[in-house]
Amino acid sequence: MPDTILDVQGLETVFKTPDGTIHAVNGVSFNLKEGETLGVVGESGCGKSVTMLSVLGLIPNPPGKVIAGSAKFAGRDLLKMSNDEIRQVRGAQISMIFQDPMTSLNPVLTIGRQLEEPLMLHLGMSKKQASERAAELLSMVGIPNAKERLKDYPHQYSGGMRQRVMIAMALSCSPQILIADEPTTALDVTIQAQIMDLVKRLRQELGMAVIWITHDLGVVAGLAQRVIVMYGGFIIEEAQVHELYANPTHPYTIGLLGSLPRLDAKERTRLYSIEGLPPVLYQKPNACPFAPRCKWAMERCWKENPALEPVAPEHRVACWVDTKTGRPRS
Amino acid sequence: MINYIIRRLLLVPVLLFGVTILIFGMLQLLEPDERVSLYIRGDPKSDAQVNAFIKKYCLDCPFYIQYKNWLLGTVDSVTGEREGGILYGNFGWSKTGSQPVAQLIARRFPNTLDLTLWAVGPVIFVGIWLGVQAAVHHNGIIDQIARIFSIVGTSFPTFVFGLLVLMIFYANLQWFPPGRLSDEFTRVVNSDQFTRYTTLLTIDALLNGRFDIFLDALRHMFLPILTLSYISWATFLRVTRGSMLETLRQEYVVTARAKGLPERDVIHKHAKPNAMLPVVTLAGFTVVGLMGGVIITETVFNYPGIGSAAAEASVQLDVVTVLGFALFNGLILIVANLVVDILYAVVDPRVRLS
Repeated sequence: MPDTILDVQGLETVFKTPDGTIHAVNGVSFNLKEGETLGVVGESGCGKSVTMLSVLGLIPNPPGKVIAGSAKFAGRDLLKMSNDEIRQVRGAQISMIFQDPMTSLNPVLTIGRQLEEPLMLHLGMSKKQASERAAELLSMVGIPNAKERLKDYPHQYSGGMRQRVMIAMALSCSPQILIADEPTTALDVTIQAQIMDLVKRLRQELGMAVIWITHDLGVVAGLAQRVIVMYGGFIIEEAQVHELYANPTHPYTIGLLGSLPRLDAKERTRLYSIEGLPPVLYQKPNACPFAPRCKWAMERCWKENPALEPVAPEHRVACWVDTKTGRPRS
Repeated sequence: MINYIIRRLLLVPVLLFGVTILIFGMLQLLEPDERVSLYIRGDPKSDAQVNAFIKKYCLDCPFYIQYKNWLLGTVDSVTGEREGGILYGNFGWSKTGSQPVAQLIARRFPNTLDLTLWAVGPVIFVGIWLGVQAAVHHNGIIDQIARIFSIVGTSFPTFVFGLLVLMIFYANLQWFPPGRLSDEFTRVVNSDQFTRYTTLLTIDALLNGRFDIFLDALRHMFLPILTLSYISWATFLRVTRGSMLETLRQEYVVTARAKGLPERDVIHKHAKPNAMLPVVTLAGFTVVGLMGGVIITETVFNYPGIGSAAAEASVQLDVVTVLGFALFNGLILIVANLVVDILYAVVDPRVRLS
């Protein structure tokens, strides 16, 4: 059994807005093993990104604030670190790449300059060393003519190439964890596949752990070993990837899997979708946050929020109902 | 970059043509006898003389002949001297200044330029700095103070603020006098011991090794600069703050933080260069405004710059002089626009390389 390198417990993050306090993350606990790829799945606004940004202390404060929890990394709590301490971790030991490669690179700085920055900052390289290493990194992520292209600006790169640059930048200091926040959402399908292959290959070569945030269950199936499903700022199901696809247990997960288009479906069948919208939580709920959209919902679901309980080895679910039988779980 | 600059330069003749047509068009609104000042020095003595000049300079001819004459002037058949012609630097005769308009500009402009030189730093750079601070401490105490200051600044009329500081610092405290220079130094400056290398008083004083004159000149400029700064800071603060807040919300700022960069670098190396585009435009117009003469400020402080000269001419309906200043201002604006365009390219590679 590989060691746990990141252990998050009871994480809670809120945002203060003029309309009230929004509870974005409500006591999330999960861990990450060395070399593992963990998929984090959920609709937009379910707290996936906020969870990861909280772990790295990247929530803009104000309006955001992490109000509870811990995130143990290499024996230390990331959430208790000073600004300077967590800076040493960001980009060096835990890196992050983002959803939209068109906006996540600085338009007025050269690609070279942006790649060299973390090298000089974390590895203490000279400008010249950093520049050579930056060229190597660019070729590693499959950008031809790397040395020349360092002088270019982001607008001279295509979307897929910019995401490759982001990956090169994130991996430049050989981090132990890469957090990928929907890195393929803004790209077209062929480029998506290329970026996924690239991350898979680099993960094997560099032996790092990956947290892959997405709302696309298809992406997770091809990439992750373990999946957590989030809803309304809670983790509602957690399982090995095969187990989750074979035995989805939470009504929300079942709905998500049911709404995937199938190649073997009959022509002109309507694509299934979950009715309703995910909640915006102005209070910590004392009911199951999914109850309003759940076809199995029963009385207890409106009164108590279920905790994450094991239903099979390494498979945990937060639901009062046994969705196989439609009866209350005993 | 070179291509970009060449393209901008090619635009200059077009702009020049536009400016001259505009000014010429306004001159055409005058009666022919008023336009005589464009060609002759001094005032004509009699109506007969005026009519002779109108005939000589073709002031009732079709407009294209007049435009040509206005640009190139006419050559006197007897003396062989060129009379008029803005391309030869002859902007006409200033009745209020009792000297050629060009000479009036040449005399007054160095003073305005001197003021601009010393005001640019406090006005622009401090304004930008304040704006960045306000944005970085968004909704904090610094931001709140900056916002109040900015609202008061934009709504405080220049002449009221000017008179107020004049009352406090001159009338009561006697620290900073209005005008250009103390009498004792004015005599020195106008004598042979003082060489006018650049015609900018402060620079010349330093070049002549007269530190006392330099300080005295600065002392006289202090209140105008304070007034200009106070008014401009409000604008710079607002524009910089808004632009900076917008930039700090961008994804690449999160990327920079996620890389582990210190907040200082995130703000000054990643966010600020992106936030500067609207500020560069504003700075361009501010400098043009300063160089074109700040009429109210110069008048309040009795500062002998180009603005107070234009104000005197306006009050006495000396249209030829006023439009001479307008033409000069147009030229400055064209040059400043070119500089701003080039600065754009320096700041933003997307402009430079497209």
